[in-house]
Amino acid sequence: MLRKRILVVCGTGIATSTVVARKLEEKLKEEGIDIETRQCKVVEVESMLENVDLIVATTPVPDDIKVPVIRTLAFLTGIGEDEAIEEIVRGLRGR
Amino acid sequence: MALNEIINGLGITVLLPIVIFFLALVFKINGKKAFRSAVLIGIGFIGINLILGFFLNNLAPAASKMVEYTGAHLPIIDVGWPAAAAIAFAGKIGLFIIPVVVLVNFLMYTFRWTNTINVDVWNYWHFAFTGGLVYALTGNIWLGILASAINSALVLLLGDWTAPAVQEYYKIPGISIPHGFSAAFVPIAIPLNWILDKLHFDKIKADPVSIRKKWGIFGDPIIIGLILGMVVGFLGNMKNLGSIQAWFGILKLGMSMAGVMYIFPKMVAVLMDGLIPISEGVRDFMKARASTRKFNIGLDSAILVGDPAAIASAMILVPIAVILMIIIPQNQILLAVDLAVLPFMVVMTIPITRGNVLKTVIIGTVIITGGLLIGTNLSPLFTKAAIQAQFNMPSGATQISSICDGSNPLSWLIVKLMDKSFGIAILIAIFFLFLYFYKKHEKGWEKIAGASKEYLEKSE
Repeated sequence: MLRKRILVVCGTGIATSTVVARKLEEKLKEEGIDIETRQCKVVEVESMLENVDLIVATTPVPDDIKVPVIRTLAFLTGIGEDEAIEEIVRGLRGR
Repeated sequence: MALNEIINGLGITVLLPIVIFFLALVFKINGKKAFRSAVLIGIGFIGINLILGFFLNNLAPAASKMVEYTGAHLPIIDVGWPAAAAIAFAGKIGLFIIPVVVLVNFLMYTFRWTNTINVDVWNYWHFAFTGGLVYALTGNIWLGILASAINSALVLLLGDWTAPAVQEYYKIPGISIPHGFSAAFVPIAIPLNWILDKLHFDKIKADPVSIRKKWGIFGDPIIIGLILGMVVGFLGNMKNLGSIQAWFGILKLGMSMAGVMYIFPKMVAVLMDGLIPISEGVRDFMKARASTRKFNIGLDSAILVGDPAAIASAMILVPIAVILMIIIPQNQILLAVDLAVLPFMVVMTIPITRGNVLKTVIIGTVIITGGLLIGTNLSPLFTKAAIQAQFNMPSGATQISSICDGSNPLSWLIVKLMDKSFGIAILIAIFFLFLYFYKKHEKGWEKIAGASKEYLEKSE
């Protein structure tokens, strides 16, 4: 599978998105998926969509975005991390 | 060699990583991971310090020239949340903040005073910031730690109080937001919202999505930075606009400020990266010990900031804040970095106004007006805390503040009360009265914080 690009979105593009991005890099590597993450804040999301395969967000993002969005707090709460990873893997493989 | 000499000699870029490393081991993080993250934290501080120096060295001279030519007396520079967070963690109180907040939370949970387990370790910095101001004021480290503890305890209650409203509006069951900045405005927003409803402002609806499209420019920090830098540069060069050099300077200042707005938060991300292992360690430690009854997991208000009404309100508030900065005679703050984080100021007002943009903007205007006065008032302590935390301040009389934490009414209240013993007694009384009346009329309180009757009945 080619390298996948994931855009991680939160309120600042700094705090919670860093936590999620590191977690995705760690967990998806274990799944054998090569990913590249970029982070941004939610107001920038429309201008960051080029070449993005999946958006993982901790905060609501606009409805009219063309890229698939997975909104999850699992990596922050530590509850349901495995299910979230599964959903993300499905999201990436489905494309 | 005395302990103080060692502390001062090492400096925060070495000392805090050492503290974090040992703390990480306590919370059972493996040594290799703990070591790397500790080093990253040191790197984060180096980055923030570099950008802060660049920022102040560029903006401060231009701002003082602007004062000369226009008479706009705005000598206090808004260094924003990246600097505030770094100052908070790098101060003496910051060294102790993680165990202090964990202990307060654990005790309150055990006594059934809170249902929130605040695992948002990064945002403990807000409490350390308040403590750091108290330490700058009193020189007493214990008073600083006590102030942080009281701040975190009050914010846990705010988190509990707003939990049903936040869960319902933002559709995030099991979560609460004990955020030192965002939650502080709830007690202000509730009565203002009540007044606005009496005046029928709730009937006027504005569409957040179209506002966002129209006002989008005020949501982009680099554009804010660019415009701000050029305007300050222009006003500072009023007397020699005929010279090409002046225009070079104006453009350069615009570019520099755009750069600061972009790079400054990125440096915080390095710090954040370094804090991840210990955050997870603390989270798992707390969750494992909080299994006796149901609890809400306390997270960062950043998870709410994507709300369209919050974004739209904050965009409109950017130009309003700039106008307020100019027309309020007592204000001395030159707004800059924190213009990018106004959404954090309104996210917990949104459930109260039920996503009404107009009401949120009016409440935000009142909050910012008060904030400019508070920030001006706290600026000497903010500046002193930065110097105590060994940040590079340009020579001369540069003063700093921020429109977010430097203007936080809850921090201000605590700072003003902490230097007298009866003031401390008042703070403790506020805590217990808050706790008593909230627990006594739980549902009623949660309803005025924005939860619907149906939701509260369902969640029983």
